[in-house]
Amino acid sequence: MSPARTRLLAGVTLSACALLLAGCSGSTGSSSASKDSINYALPANFTPNWILPIGTAAHLNTNNSSISHTLWEPLVAYDGSTGKIGWNKAGSIATAADFAADNKSVKITLGDRHWSDGKPITSQDVKFWFDLIKANKKQWAGYSPGQAPDNWTSLKADDDRHVTLTFDKAYNPQWMLANELQYIIPLPKHAWDQGGDPVKTWTYLNNAAKNIGGYASNPLWKTISGPYGVKSFSTAGKVVLAANKKYDGGEKPGIPTVNLLPFTTTDAEKNALRSGSVDYGYIEATDLDQKESFTARGYEVKPWSGWAITYMPYNFNNPSMGPVFKQLYARQAIQRSIDQTTIAKVVFSGTAVPGYGPIPTGQASAFVSQTQKDNPYPFSTSAARALLTSHGWSEQSGVMTCTRPGSGASQCGDGVAKGTKFQMQVLSQSGSAVTDNMMSAIQSSLAKTGIKFSIKTAPVNSVLSQTPQCTASQSICKWQLSFFGTAGSWYFPAFPTGDALFQSKGGSNFGNYSDAKVDQLISASTTSSSNQAIQDYSASLAKDLPVIWLPEPDYQISVMKKGLGGFAQDSLANFHPAQWKWTS
Amino acid sequence: MSAVLQSTTPTAEPVANYRLSLRRFTRNKLAVAGLVVVVVFLLFCFVGPLLYSTDQTHTDLHQVNLGPSGAHWLGTDAVGHDEVGRLMFGGQVSLLVGLAAGVLATVIGTLWGATAGYVGGWADAVMMRVVDAGIAIPALFILLVVSAITTPDTLGLILVLGLVSWLVPSRLVRAETLTLKSRDYVLTLRATGGTHGRAIARHILPNSVSTIVVAATFQVADAILLVAYVSYLGLGVQPPKTDWGGMLSAGLTAAYSGRWWLIVPPGLAIILVVCAFNAIGDGLRDAFDVRGRG
Repeated sequence: MSPARTRLLAGVTLSACALLLAGCSGSTGSSSASKDSINYALPANFTPNWILPIGTAAHLNTNNSSISHTLWEPLVAYDGSTGKIGWNKAGSIATAADFAADNKSVKITLGDRHWSDGKPITSQDVKFWFDLIKANKKQWAGYSPGQAPDNWTSLKADDDRHVTLTFDKAYNPQWMLANELQYIIPLPKHAWDQGGDPVKTWTYLNNAAKNIGGYASNPLWKTISGPYGVKSFSTAGKVVLAANKKYDGGEKPGIPTVNLLPFTTTDAEKNALRSGSVDYGYIEATDLDQKESFTARGYEVKPWSGWAITYMPYNFNNPSMGPVFKQLYARQAIQRSIDQTTIAKVVFSGTAVPGYGPIPTGQASAFVSQTQKDNPYPFSTSAARALLTSHGWSEQSGVMTCTRPGSGASQCGDGVAKGTKFQMQVLSQSGSAVTDNMMSAIQSSLAKTGIKFSIKTAPVNSVLSQTPQCTASQSICKWQLSFFGTAGSWYFPAFPTGDALFQSKGGSNFGNYSDAKVDQLISASTTSSSNQAIQDYSASLAKDLPVIWLPEPDYQISVMKKGLGGFAQDSLANFHPAQWKWTS
Repeated sequence: MSAVLQSTTPTAEPVANYRLSLRRFTRNKLAVAGLVVVVVFLLFCFVGPLLYSTDQTHTDLHQVNLGPSGAHWLGTDAVGHDEVGRLMFGGQVSLLVGLAAGVLATVIGTLWGATAGYVGGWADAVMMRVVDAGIAIPALFILLVVSAITTPDTLGLILVLGLVSWLVPSRLVRAETLTLKSRDYVLTLRATGGTHGRAIARHILPNSVSTIVVAATFQVADAILLVAYVSYLGLGVQPPKTDWGGMLSAGLTAAYSGRWWLIVPPGLAIILVVCAFNAIGDGLRDAFDVRGRG
């Protein structure tokens, strides 16, 4: 065949494939559902790779922790698995947590529970975890300086079933339970301890956990407290869990065998759904108009709401646009140019809710302020233009340009030079049609205000690595806006404080937002026992706009076989196989 | 004597040859059809917007995913762009990048190949090893890396595609040059004091035109496909710009939703234009093929 013919064939093949895809209606396969097993689709591109119930930075993933929590139950399971965020005592080792009157300590009572090898679960197993974390805190993924375990001064085993944890000062009990005590997982000291040396034990456990091929065979991982054990765990990501027959907790497994299936792409996962080989999977918001095709195949479509906020951080230290971003009126103009209501309804097909502040609003909570609920900056490109023109900007060649520099009330503001153009670029997460469409819509409405908004896309890991905290003199500080929130930018623990996100020098405060008043409000929200503190924080950031607030999408649009039920989808984005049941 | 004259004055014969070639080309119905298709698409993409005006800069979230109608002949996409206007708008990028990158690749390849073939010796060896090394690296890989590092735009795509696609034309032109440089008229020019540059400009390149033109048409087709590949992977030009590959990629999410108008038109456009350029290339090759002349 001549090279020309080969090229011709290649061209035809490419296009024919596209057309075939367009016309393809999918194939139906035999159902994998049986009363004894379930096939659950893991998120695309995620491969389970860590069994140890202590996360390290290289293995930080909510799905890894969902699997490990199924094997080793936490002391306090504070999640949304019961339908609302709270302490799920059925899935916890502890039965009570009594805070001292001064809120400087807590006495925790353990249930009468046993390991799978028959030994009792005691306060020594809690202390074993505590000592491991204290001695190796810098390797622990949950560590944030000043917080657990730094603010835990001691843990004392009062007797076999009681421990007392003392803090460095008084804390909000709800915050302490929801955001710190939920980390504690009693571990089998009798099976895992290496001579009482927590550093040596840490190394030993981590080395063992690096051998994924040994997860199903290593006796270390056989001493469990949770409802399931590992039957097989392939390096390709398929995990088979088998019910723990010795489990004596409150969440008895409803289905004997759970198959967790990995997928490289969402398309592959959707094809598996269409073939019937997945019992509990997901589709994208853009696929919602195909809902009937899934219900016709015996599925139900149920959105899974996440306890998350979605936003686009400004880089306040960017040399060119940082001075503009520091002007509140400029941030207001940007925020007023984004029609969140329409984006949530049209682009997300109704599977997102507008987000106007730092507290998730997908679910009702006592944390959100009225100010945030009311949206202080409603969509209006004319109001946005007025904000800019009244501050020394005028439109030149379609782009607002600073013509009156200075720090006066009607001038552009400190550090904004004459001739500065209001043009900015976002590095946005690639691979999602919904995100691409949202960015196009934002670009369009910003253009009406006179703000030029260009879009560059990259895989989410590249976005995160290319948009770090930085100082203006660093070459990496060229980024202006970042977006990594296709499925929500930030998933909170149960108590949604913003210490990592919006506190000065917070670990995930990518854009270096800093405001002394907000710092105080964040500190107050973790120490005050009243919800007023966190509501004040909510109102303050709804008005101050540390980031561009965007619609909060559902965590996923779940598609599950009819008859699968008996559980609520955890808004903290964990899955709980023990709660799944075939009801019919 | 006549043989000497023929070899020292080759320019008269090419003129006659080109007339013959043109006649042979016009007799090739597939090639002519290809030319018509290319011309139609060029008119559609570059003149069409003057007759069928649409807003391809702003989205309209109140007009999304509409089916074909009198108001929108091919419906609208997921952010409310008119699909016919989008085809024109995207086609401008696809065709412009394809044509410009094809020409750029051919120019670079021609200069490189002609120089290597004519100079010969160690220079030829070094230059062709560079070509061999370049061909060993998949062009798509280089494109993806560059797209990840820089923000892709039309000019950037032209440059990158041109700079990764010149290798094959350079080999073809070098082979042609090796045969031409030992012809009598080239040797005579050199013997009478003509410079190497004059030999290349006066004899080597004009007599390689058939090879170069054929290569160029295939380069254009390849470049259009490469743009489609890159855009399909989400690394093409960024919104509000688009190209046919990007449209195809965006439309595939609607593959199961029955919104054929988001997939079939850009898919067909890529098929037709790539096939058309290949047909033109085949026609030109047959037209210039000396062995086929009766």
